[in-house]
Amino acid sequence: MTPRPSITLWKWSKKGMLNDIESIKNLAQDDIARAGSLKDINDLKAKYLGRKGLLTRKFSSLGSIPREDRPRVGRILNEAKDFIESLLKKQEDIFRSSELDKSLRTQQIDVTVPGCFIPAGHLHPVTRVLDEISAIFVSLGFTVEEGPEVELDYYNFEALNFPKDHPARDMQDTFFISDDVVLRTHTSSVQVRVMEKNSPPLRVIAPGKVYRCDADVSHIPMFHQLEGFMVDRHIRFSDLKGVLELLIHRVFGRDTSLRFRPSFFPFTEPSAEIDISCVICSGAGCHVCGGTGWIEILGAGMINPRVYEKAGYDPELYTGFAFGLGIERVAMLKYGIDDIRLFPENDKRFLEQF
Amino acid sequence: MKASYKWLKEFVDFNLPPDKLAHTLTMAGLEVEEIEEFEGDTIFDIGITPNRPDCLSIRGIAREISAVLEIPFKDITVKIGAEEGEGPAVEIESPELCPRYSSRIIRGVKPGPSPEWLSKRLESCGIRPASNIVDITNYVLLELGQPMHAFDLDKLTGGRIVVRQAAGVEKFRTLDGEERKLPAEALLIWDAEKPVAIAGVMGGRNTEVSESTLNILLESAYFKPSLVRRTSRALSLSTESSYRFERGVDIEAVTLALDRAAQLIVQTAGGRVTRMTDNYPEPFERGKIRVSFKKISSVIGVDIDGAFVEKTLGNLGFRVEREGEGIAAVPPGYRTDMEMDVDIIEEVARLYGYDRIPSTLPTMQMSSPPEHETQELIKTLKNSMVKSGFSEVINFSFLNPDALEKLNLPPDDKRRDIIHIRNPLRKEESAMRTTLIPALLNNIALNLNRGEKMLRFFEVSRVFLPSGGKLPDEITQFAAVYHKDVTASIWQDKHDGFYDLKGTVENLFLELKIKRYSFERGASPVEPYLHPGKSCSIVIEGRKTGSLGTLHPGVARAFDIKGDVIILEIHDIEKIREAVPARITYVPLPRYPYVERDIAIIVSKDTTVAQAEKIIRGTDTDIIESVKLFDIYTGKPIPEDKKSLAFSIRYRSAVKTLTDSEVDAVHSAIIKSLEAELGAELRS
Repeated sequence: MTPRPSITLWKWSKKGMLNDIESIKNLAQDDIARAGSLKDINDLKAKYLGRKGLLTRKFSSLGSIPREDRPRVGRILNEAKDFIESLLKKQEDIFRSSELDKSLRTQQIDVTVPGCFIPAGHLHPVTRVLDEISAIFVSLGFTVEEGPEVELDYYNFEALNFPKDHPARDMQDTFFISDDVVLRTHTSSVQVRVMEKNSPPLRVIAPGKVYRCDADVSHIPMFHQLEGFMVDRHIRFSDLKGVLELLIHRVFGRDTSLRFRPSFFPFTEPSAEIDISCVICSGAGCHVCGGTGWIEILGAGMINPRVYEKAGYDPELYTGFAFGLGIERVAMLKYGIDDIRLFPENDKRFLEQF
Repeated sequence: MKASYKWLKEFVDFNLPPDKLAHTLTMAGLEVEEIEEFEGDTIFDIGITPNRPDCLSIRGIAREISAVLEIPFKDITVKIGAEEGEGPAVEIESPELCPRYSSRIIRGVKPGPSPEWLSKRLESCGIRPASNIVDITNYVLLELGQPMHAFDLDKLTGGRIVVRQAAGVEKFRTLDGEERKLPAEALLIWDAEKPVAIAGVMGGRNTEVSESTLNILLESAYFKPSLVRRTSRALSLSTESSYRFERGVDIEAVTLALDRAAQLIVQTAGGRVTRMTDNYPEPFERGKIRVSFKKISSVIGVDIDGAFVEKTLGNLGFRVEREGEGIAAVPPGYRTDMEMDVDIIEEVARLYGYDRIPSTLPTMQMSSPPEHETQELIKTLKNSMVKSGFSEVINFSFLNPDALEKLNLPPDDKRRDIIHIRNPLRKEESAMRTTLIPALLNNIALNLNRGEKMLRFFEVSRVFLPSGGKLPDEITQFAAVYHKDVTASIWQDKHDGFYDLKGTVENLFLELKIKRYSFERGASPVEPYLHPGKSCSIVIEGRKTGSLGTLHPGVARAFDIKGDVIILEIHDIEKIREAVPARITYVPLPRYPYVERDIAIIVSKDTTVAQAEKIIRGTDTDIIESVKLFDIYTGKPIPEDKKSLAFSIRYRSAVKTLTDSEVDAVHSAIIKSLEAELGAELRS
């Protein structure tokens, strides 16, 4: 609060003093606007705010003003000082950053030099496909089970209703370890092993390596399959169709059509082979599909009651389906690989593409 | 099975062009694998599944077409003219192996070339024509699916037939001139003295029909399928005949085929036919199979009308009776695959059309899934290796036994106890592998050979070790190989690749939160195939779990590898899993600042970093937070048999801010211990 009685006196002394302050401000403003370098700014700092600076001198003359006016004039002086300082600071920042800029520009690096890193490795395409398909089934509540690769004839054949000396065994060229031990020819061998240890309902996938005594341009003696099966009351053939359709659509896209054909596997009845519309030519016919527009991709069916008998399930109570999928085959179609022998060869240039 | 379009048309008057017929067959389960043209006819190559021997004939496929298209089936009619004299004398010693044997004699035949229609038919179905009588037997085989055989009657001692097992006969010369070694259980056809045919497989040279044959004995029989299959396999001789017998021919059509052949032989080669001998002690009977309409619909997943079921099965040759809300069906003799209700259900579904069955999704109750920690671990491990620059390989599980020599494994090494495959494709793949290393080294060699550099591979796969039981132990192992690129590159580091791979392992353990591990060198080399000076064991929680080291240069040479290969091996992935902590426990962040002090010591060259670190950490205090090696130096001015190690030690108290004098006290205690225990000198 300014005491009222001082007004007249202050009016009187304000004239010269306040006018002077105002013109110093204006002068400073003009000078700063004209400044061209950091040095100019430093000179202007001295000119206005230095020990003998224009504004500093006004501070010194405060003593000559009547005591009651001093606070007021002092405040105006301080405001002027802040004003000039802030202008100077602003201009100084501009000059500083442009000068830093200038010096940084001289420190260029070559950004086109390659970066320094350990290139990430790659999962084998078989693993990629197995992981993708497993994830689909796990999301549907299936569990992942495994079984031995060196397997008893019983689990690989007998329990799956391939009797000894039955021509159905010719469907799979078998590696033998002994009379009753084989290299499993399919992951279906996991079915009865799992059933023996668990009661329905079952939702299981069993991925893994399988072996066939066969090697030529389109066969390798070890490859990968994924077996899937589901057992409960009231599982229907139509459910098998639905689940496989879901699988194929997720893996190959919704535009892929499926075709179910009657077929034969000793451990399923009814049995089916499933073709998909050729993913290379979309069904028009090409060398991959042999001109038919269809590619065989899955074997499947309703689990044969004889398998339930082996597992000790009541075939009147339970139904279920099973299917088997060749993983290399899916990978070939998915990635356009034209030679199955590339999978076990492990050429770096092949692996690096996945 | 090759089938002629025109021939099929003789049995069913379908009105479909060949490509449509092929599609119909395929969608009915008779997959047409190839279609080819043959002199104005179309030939289908059809894949007949092992359950459908009834379709291994033109008549059988035609029956199927008739049922699918619902067009009447026109069966052949067979007429034998005047019969002259008794049929041949036939004795079956083992009726369980030969439940039916029918035969006739035809006298006064004139062997010669077949008429053109006959030759062409055979050719069109892939059988080379020979002469009229043999051609007729083959024709009937194709037409009716019944294998036939004609003997030269005059070469059959006693003019009679006995069906009996080999019993002591070891060798027999078949039609093709080969002398065959007979399995003891083989079923043979004998005359009064000698074997004249291997039943169901091939006839004998000794009674072969020739140009000079006058009289023949014609055989049409049913042999036990499993026996024919075993015999055929033991002989490594598969014929059109054995192929059909082992799948099962139509026992009820045995005499139809005999008569059909007799009729055609008389037509083309002349002759007079005797009466038939039909030795069929226990005529075959088929039981009823019952199934309810409800079950049919519930298995298939769509409502199927009872009338459709009756009609379809009728068309397929079943005798069908309605029984309430279901049927009782007697399958025809040729459908040997029909045994239970689901077999009937498949027939209904098949003819209903799989494509007409809707797609549904099953409803199921939730259940608690088992936990598979190892599967999860393998995923984490693979991803960690990929991040560290390693690519996954998947090799065959096979092993070339020679590789064990190349690896220098001593005679008593358990990896030499390999499981052999009885029928390998090649020696390189003749056993199951007991180690992942040879295949990984071959991966390195192959890629180097192809000019690739900087090779980093890993594999997670099973090895097969004898267990003492029937099946081997299948152990999941993890191994990695690293071949460093030593050609100049921009960010090249100069250190030994051993430390790269060691770092990869340490990083893996970091990711898996495995803390208590060490790399240890024992008195003897860790593996015979590793460089004895550059290798060590990986010890986790006190257990030797694997090894890390540079491949022995001699072994590298044996595998045709130039340059160093660093190898990492974890012998059992389960051991890793057991070391992974079950849960993560948070440790509160420190509240007081740390003090860092460096220390450089000169020690003898064979002193290890671990020794020095152990002494530092062993100091009696609780303020040492971490000890970090930051330099190893050899060379001037360090004496030649010494080296300098420099550590940075971080001190921190959990309860207060440390003062200089508190740190100094511990730091000098450390120096004292190093001096006393390692003879270390402080480097100034």
